Amino acid sequence: MNYFVIGYYALLIGSSCLAAHYRQREIFLLLFSLTLASFVMGIVGGEGALWAVTIAAGLLALAGGTAYSFREFLIIISGPLTARALRTAPLTAAFGMFVIFTYAVLGIFAPVIAPYGEAEVISQSFAPADQDMLLGADQLGRDMFSRLVYGARNTVGLALVATTIAFVIGALLGMIAAVKQGWFDQFMGRTIDVVMSIPSLIFALLLLSILGTNMIVLVVIIGVIYSPRVYRLTRAVAGNVVVMDYIEAAKLRGEGMWYLIRKEILPNSTAPLIAEFGLEFCFVFLLVAGLSFLGLGIQPPTADWGSMVRENATLISFGEITPLIPAAAIALLTVAVNMVVDWMLYRSSGLKE
Amino acid sequence: MANKGNILLKIEGLRIEAYAEEKWFEIVHGVDLVLRRGEVMGLIGESGAGKSTIGLAAMGFARDGCRISGGSIEFDGLELTTTSEVDRRRLRGSKIAYVAQSAAASFNPAHKLIDQHTEAPVQYRIRKRTESQEDAMELYERLRLPNPREIGFRYPHQVSGGQLQRAMTAMAMSCRPDLIIFDEPTTALDVTTQIEVLAAVRDIVDQFNTAAIYITHDLAVVAQMADVIKVLLKGDQVEEADTRTMLNKPQEEYTKSLWAVRSFQREQKLRPSDDSAPVVAVEDVDAAYGTVRVLEDVSFDVHAGMTVAVVGESGSGKSTTARCITGLLPPLKGRILFRGEELPPSYLSRSKDQLRQAQMIYQMADTALNPKIRIGDIIGRPAQFYGGLKGTALKNRVDELLDMIELDPSQFYGRYPPELSGGQKQRVGIARSLAAEPTFIICDEVTSALDQLVAEGILKLLDRLQRDLDLAYMFITHDLATVRSIADEVVVMKQGKVVEQGAKDAMFKPPHHPYTDLLLSSVPEMDPDWLTTLLEERGVDNVGDAATT
Repeated sequence: MNYFVIGYYALLIGSSCLAAHYRQREIFLLLFSLTLASFVMGIVGGEGALWAVTIAAGLLALAGGTAYSFREFLIIISGPLTARALRTAPLTAAFGMFVIFTYAVLGIFAPVIAPYGEAEVISQSFAPADQDMLLGADQLGRDMFSRLVYGARNTVGLALVATTIAFVIGALLGMIAAVKQGWFDQFMGRTIDVVMSIPSLIFALLLLSILGTNMIVLVVIIGVIYSPRVYRLTRAVAGNVVVMDYIEAAKLRGEGMWYLIRKEILPNSTAPLIAEFGLEFCFVFLLVAGLSFLGLGIQPPTADWGSMVRENATLISFGEITPLIPAAAIALLTVAVNMVVDWMLYRSSGLKE
Repeated sequence: MANKGNILLKIEGLRIEAYAEEKWFEIVHGVDLVLRRGEVMGLIGESGAGKSTIGLAAMGFARDGCRISGGSIEFDGLELTTTSEVDRRRLRGSKIAYVAQSAAASFNPAHKLIDQHTEAPVQYRIRKRTESQEDAMELYERLRLPNPREIGFRYPHQVSGGQLQRAMTAMAMSCRPDLIIFDEPTTALDVTTQIEVLAAVRDIVDQFNTAAIYITHDLAVVAQMADVIKVLLKGDQVEEADTRTMLNKPQEEYTKSLWAVRSFQREQKLRPSDDSAPVVAVEDVDAAYGTVRVLEDVSFDVHAGMTVAVVGESGSGKSTTARCITGLLPPLKGRILFRGEELPPSYLSRSKDQLRQAQMIYQMADTALNPKIRIGDIIGRPAQFYGGLKGTALKNRVDELLDMIELDPSQFYGRYPPELSGGQKQRVGIARSLAAEPTFIICDEVTSALDQLVAEGILKLLDRLQRDLDLAYMFITHDLATVRSIADEVVVMKQGKVVEQGAKDAMFKPPHHPYTDLLLSSVPEMDPDWLTTLLEERGVDNVGDAATT
């Protein structure tokens, strides 16, 4: 028994009592079950386990605090309408926004932030971390941290462009189909069915091996492969909008299709489309990373998280976590985007409480 | 209606709050209510008066985003505000039942009527399934549903709206509750169907000596149903008295204004004496949806500066006629003439000017205005599209139009439709059609979704605009009070055919076509004995038949 252990239990039990006293049911249950679990962990795992719990709790609190302050920051700097929407954001969504913000900064200012170039060989292969290299070197002796920063720009940027292409194609065709109906709708629907029936990764591999691998081909192929999902969603959402009387009024006025799409349908389907954009972005991002891992995505020496995982994979057998860092970067962004999208979906679905 | 028993429901100082824009707003400000066994109380008021909210609170229930914040609700000696949700839930369905406005939306479309009927008694172990089915059939018979032994085995979409509403009333009766809350049960129904439901509801409440709260905005309906009437305004109680006193001697100004609302009536105008071509002439039009024939040989004329009201029940082809005129549904046969010139059958092949001349105002202003476009832009678009106005000229035109519909331009120009009330939205819809500078406007049930006071304002506005701008109106409605107040000529439609047409004054004077007569006599009057007298005249048993033949 040392002061740490005594302090640890004293703090937990004390705060449990406070929570119970102020009838904070959920907080009390959480704290007290943590206390009980800590007894077991303390006996089995010793002081180390308790330290781990403390650090985990500290990290969680830090993330929560960051999310909270970031949300308040956003509320203050944004206009009244956005601020009202932001106030409804849960902490998870705020945390997601913070992570996305960080990635965006990393991507945009990559040359300023990264200490070395992405293809610059500065040391021996698999050199351990030192004061020059924050995360050590990769299999060719390039700085892992710099490549991670550049990777944010390449991988995320590519996924963003591909998703945007998918959205422009899918949403436009979906809305045209909803307005035109008849044979065009049927024709598009069946074509989309055919495209969707082919597994996306295999389809991408097939097309890439036929057309060759370069950035533009890659982006366009991914955009085309993912547009059917967007098409279906847009077609469904727009289908609900075109039956409204205001569309009939606009048609009777003699408005053209482009006006209908731009002014009448699009503003009424943005909420689900934005949420879908977030979800699609995650899938596209994972596909890009997966293709890179297989060697058909972004080509070396351009830094990319997917290929970084593959290139450094041998290190796992030596108990190093280096190859897991880019993987974690992928995971973190995907989770963050999903957190924000969850909140947006919740808002657009109009659910209360 | 004697033998009123002891107090069943006692609400004191009821306060209800609703959550909006991150704040709690009080929407019901301390309402008291006492209901005895076997008594029927009518709650009336405009939309937003808190009628439905109070009705639901009588079950100890508050909608999502609402909460009961004060007062007491005592039902049969049990305080509902403090009992647990489990206990309250046990009361609902068995002791207190609820009949919703739209039976079509409240029945589960995937289950047969009788299965939904027996659910509550079986759940509460009041009756076994077979007993409950027998009971359902008996109730169906009492509610005078056709084929009472078989109708229960149909799905909700297989019966008509009026029948569904009666089936719902039967369902509410399934556990023989002490209290039933009727939330506007006939609002969505035609006048002829409404009578069946009203008669059925009144009889069954009487037979089982059930207490009821009858929520409605229609005074004439409440006069038939209630023993006591309570008037509400924006969450406050205005006054309460028994039906006859309330109808004859209302005390408060607000109640008097409600009573006087149907007084607006204007002089009938006559057709121009010269032989000028009518603005719109419909000639022998037939139309069909797929293979279903919905219009047959429809012909009528609309002259400049005049209002032609097209009346009929739902499904009579009123709106379809409008769709034929606008070109949304090209007719199978017949012609639409505009100032003597034939219009192309489909709107797609009409010229911009032809489209501009005929405008439409919709029933549901909610769906007729794009919620994401500002009022100024909604109204400005036709002016911009047809007139080519831009910049300040456009802004001035929109301001002028907003003035015309009595909305302050500085206040409404930049707002979005969801921020407006129902009446204001309808006014914006009118302004949008005026912006095109038309000569002919189709008004499709423009007042039926509005409160009576607001509706009267809209009718007066339309009348003024007609005089100022020499507009011709085609007024589609099922409400004969509206016809009486604004029409010059009337066209009565039934099952896709024109049954009778002529000048208004002649139409409201006998002799009538039998169908016109049925429509006219079915409009509830502000006389508590009206329903009883009418049923006696028609013979109680054929109420339903009269409406279906």
